[in-house]
Amino acid sequence: MSKDSQMRAAINQKLIEMGERERLKELLRAKLVECGWKDQLKAHCKDVIREKGLEHVTVEDLVTEVTPKGRALVPDSVKKELLTRIRAFLAQHATL
Amino acid sequence: MKMEDMPLSGPDNTKLEALVHDIYSELVEDACLGLCFEVHRAVKQGYFFLDETDQESMKEFEIVDQPGVDIFGQVYNQWKNKECECPNCKRLIAASRFAPHLEKCLGMGRNSSRIANRRLASNNNNSKSESDQEDNDDLNDNDWSYGNQNSPRRSKSLKHKNGQTLFLCCFKYNYNTGISYESLGPDEVRSLLTTQCGVISEHTKKMCTRSQRCPQHTDEQRRAVRVFLLGPSAPSLPDADPVVESDSFDIPEGQTLMNHPQWEDSPDISPTDSASSKASTNHSDSRKLKKKKRMTLNLNSGVGAAAAAVVGGGGGIGGVGCLASGSSTSGGSSQSSISLPSKKKRPKLSAASISSTYHDLN
Repeated sequence: MSKDSQMRAAINQKLIEMGERERLKELLRAKLVECGWKDQLKAHCKDVIREKGLEHVTVEDLVTEVTPKGRALVPDSVKKELLTRIRAFLAQHATL
Repeated sequence: MKMEDMPLSGPDNTKLEALVHDIYSELVEDACLGLCFEVHRAVKQGYFFLDETDQESMKEFEIVDQPGVDIFGQVYNQWKNKECECPNCKRLIAASRFAPHLEKCLGMGRNSSRIANRRLASNNNNSKSESDQEDNDDLNDNDWSYGNQNSPRRSKSLKHKNGQTLFLCCFKYNYNTGISYESLGPDEVRSLLTTQCGVISEHTKKMCTRSQRCPQHTDEQRRAVRVFLLGPSAPSLPDADPVVESDSFDIPEGQTLMNHPQWEDSPDISPTDSASSKASTNHSDSRKLKKKKRMTLNLNSGVGAAAAAVVGGGGGIGGVGCLASGSSTSGGSSQSSISLPSKKKRPKLSAASISSTYHDLN
């Protein structure tokens, strides 16, 4: 398992070092805004806030409420594209 | 950094896939977290619900989602089938064609003058379809130069000659082509014929208003016209004849000689000077030719121009007249001295006047 975790750490490091992680992040953000995921989630946030009261909302509240829904709302096309890109990166750099 | 070899075989593959998914999940969570921070900050700073404060205006600008209408609720092809009545010609015009129609109908706008000129040209072409050798472009040039009431040069030249302004105005110029000889008296006809070609066109019965050397008509034609109009004893053409009966020429004739080319020339200048865009393409070539031909004559206004005029226009009467007029602009006193001798033999005279002009210039 340590090998595994070692490998993971190495790959993550490589992602960051090469700037690929940033690129992937930006790509994901742009795609999510495009498909309306961000607006959907914002509307959900509004409900949560109205529920909890404007003054007493904390970051943790929002995170716990929003993240599961956010993960579920990502459209399949976006997910597939990102997975492909990550796989491509790994294929290119994992065997080095 | 060297990594361990990772062949994409069965169990490793799943590991790899799991890894991929893990990386993906991390990215998505990062995005969600980013959104949460953004929202939380907006809430705490108080601008999160800013777009929901005014319910009335929210209803006003709500997004419309109906068929046939855009999101603002406007019908996009509303003006497609509407017709408008033109205030000028009272016709019903389709809405999309209304603006161009108005442009042409009212005679304003960028292309309307061009189109009107072209139409005039084509009308002239149609009316002169049986012309002998007449170049319709040149005729139109005549229209342009003689009928152009707006040219500033024309009014200027008229103002210069005191005694002759009346005389010039006596010419009954039609806008279209030449002069109808029937409306003129014998004196006028005679003076006209001494300065202009005067050949009567077959189908319009009007005299050609071009110069004595107009290329469309031969000297024979000019002589025939003179015989016809003034009788058999009419003076022969002042052009090209070395032996001239000077008795028949009056003093005014010499003055008109000087006068007319100048007047004839100056309107020629104005069309070229003024907006050249007005000239239709039919005219432009012939006018350029004319311009070159009369280039020497056109430069009368400058002192140095007289020399050029001498070079270009020596021999013919146009040249003599031009010389006289050239000298008239440079020195008034020499005018009479040149015009009087000009009545006698022409070729010798041109030499004499050339030398006198040079003296004047010096």
